[in-house]
Amino acid sequence: MKKLIAIASFYLMLPLSVMAAGGPAIELEPAQNNLRDQDSLQRGAVLFSNYCMACHSLKYMRYNRIARDIGWSDEEVVAKMAYGQNKVVDDVTTRMLPGVALDVLGTEPPDLSLMARLKGTDYIYTFLRAYHQDENGNWDNTVLKGTSMPNVLEGIQRHASSEDYAQAARDIANFLEYAGEPGKMQRLDLGWKVIAFLLVLLLLTYILKKEYWRDIKH
Amino acid sequence: MSYQESNQQATQKKQNSLLAWLDRRYPLVSTWNEHVGEYYAPKNFNFWYFFGSLALLVLVNQFITGIWLTMSYKPSAAEAFNSIEYIMRDVEWGWLIRYMHSTGASAFFIVIYLHMMRGLLYGSYKEPRELVWLLGMFIFLVLMAEAFMGYLLPWGQMSYWGAQVIISLFGAIPVIGPDLAVWVRGDFVISDATLNRFFALHVIALPLVLIILVFMHIVALHRVGSNNPDGVEIKKYKNEAGLPIDGIPFHPYYSVKDTMGAVFFMIPFALVVFYWPEGGGYFLEPPNFEPANPLKTPEHIAPVWYFTPYYAILRAVPDKFLGVVAMGAAIAVLFAMPWLDRCKVKSIRYRGLSFKLLLTMFVISFIVLGWLGTQPATPELTKAAQIFTLLYFGFFLVLPFTSANEKTKPVPERVH
Repeated sequence: MKKLIAIASFYLMLPLSVMAAGGPAIELEPAQNNLRDQDSLQRGAVLFSNYCMACHSLKYMRYNRIARDIGWSDEEVVAKMAYGQNKVVDDVTTRMLPGVALDVLGTEPPDLSLMARLKGTDYIYTFLRAYHQDENGNWDNTVLKGTSMPNVLEGIQRHASSEDYAQAARDIANFLEYAGEPGKMQRLDLGWKVIAFLLVLLLLTYILKKEYWRDIKH
Repeated sequence: MSYQESNQQATQKKQNSLLAWLDRRYPLVSTWNEHVGEYYAPKNFNFWYFFGSLALLVLVNQFITGIWLTMSYKPSAAEAFNSIEYIMRDVEWGWLIRYMHSTGASAFFIVIYLHMMRGLLYGSYKEPRELVWLLGMFIFLVLMAEAFMGYLLPWGQMSYWGAQVIISLFGAIPVIGPDLAVWVRGDFVISDATLNRFFALHVIALPLVLIILVFMHIVALHRVGSNNPDGVEIKKYKNEAGLPIDGIPFHPYYSVKDTMGAVFFMIPFALVVFYWPEGGGYFLEPPNFEPANPLKTPEHIAPVWYFTPYYAILRAVPDKFLGVVAMGAAIAVLFAMPWLDRCKVKSIRYRGLSFKLLLTMFVISFIVLGWLGTQPATPELTKAAQIFTLLYFGFFLVLPFTSANEKTKPVPERVH
């Protein structure tokens, strides 16, 4: 029994997870995105190209890697994300010319490769949908007050259904989660196999130990 | 061919075997026997006794994954962050190697803290094992330096500012402090020069010291023999052959048992590597996914979880220099355990209520301080940190008095 308690407490010690304080002032909406949804990733990639890449880059990604991971051919990715303007081996850079952002927006838009790992998909999803207009017609964002980023999804917000608007933000968040760790699906798919192997190995080593220890009297 | 002739041939063959050839030139068989084949360990090791061999396993994991990481990592302020992402995205199995290394760092401290806890529970630091404990404490100290310097290498925001905060502590030392801090950094702030020297120390100097200390730790242990949950010396009762009655050879008994323990450990380890590599923001802190920016201080700087108890003690003391002294003392006082504990009985099983209560208080204060170290220092939490700092040191302060004439239970003659 004591042994069991010791073993149980060892496992229980691992997830001591209480997230450290900090973060945005308002409650984030759950993005509810799904990395396994390739259609969503493909839509997210196109939306990212149309609505984000005017200012932001994805410098740790190359077009052909994206194509391979989200189910496109090399030709498709260049057509859909780069409009034939880039080679498939190119990094995903911004279309903004150097120095322009600083003049127009007063700041350098960050690279978004790791934004999902830095802030989480819920943050991206909520942030994209948190724009509102005051009575004077000035836009602001409730997640990041005074942000230099314009309401890029305004067109979708105005003209599409609220479901489609939410889905667009979700697709972008999904694509950015993928871009934050392109090997994530491989990791999730491999993990349970490794653990299944270890469980079998544990059984075998346990039997081996029992066999050797039979002659030890306590 | 007669029987005698064939027997002679067999003997000849044995003397000419590779093993015999080697053994005439190197003490292979005797070393194996002394430390493995004929090293007699008590037969009553329990769950707590896995953590020694597990620490060795994690050390090997860190060495191997570390070597492979250095093949693609670039120790420069301009390239470090990019090279980590290169490893995570483009290097074959790079993400796995990197997660095994980052998870291994946290696993190392979980294992080592439990290994030290075992020592405290069963009095493994007591005569004749004082040197085993001291060498172990030096390992712990070097391990902390190793982990601290390794944490700078990804060159993220938390890497940078964590190092900035800790190195600036040297500046609190009177007279020589500020110059010392500059000397350690090689610059006025954490910079490329700091990153380069930390890399050198992390991948060469400290691992070298670590491996030597681990070697000495094991040699010292094998000289005096292992303690056990009953805290009795198995060397007291020997059979006709001069072997301890309650001892069993390390190999095969504990080699098969520790193999099972290693696999048992690898399961939660793999769970973290594959499904929880950020460890809820404790193993990999989210701000570290942003490159180091010397002009932008994060709103909340927290060290990695394994340093937070000492960080909480540092912050609990209002004066910066005295805080550094308290933090150092919190670790230094552990070195003195063999002499602070004056009770002759080793195992907690036969010790008095006073020790059980004191140890419980110590463990609780260590865990609470660990949690407080992750939190922002509000006035209430600082007050709490001060109380638990006093309790932490209280253990070491009260122990010499209570342990001198502790009301212990009778200790059995032999293990059971």
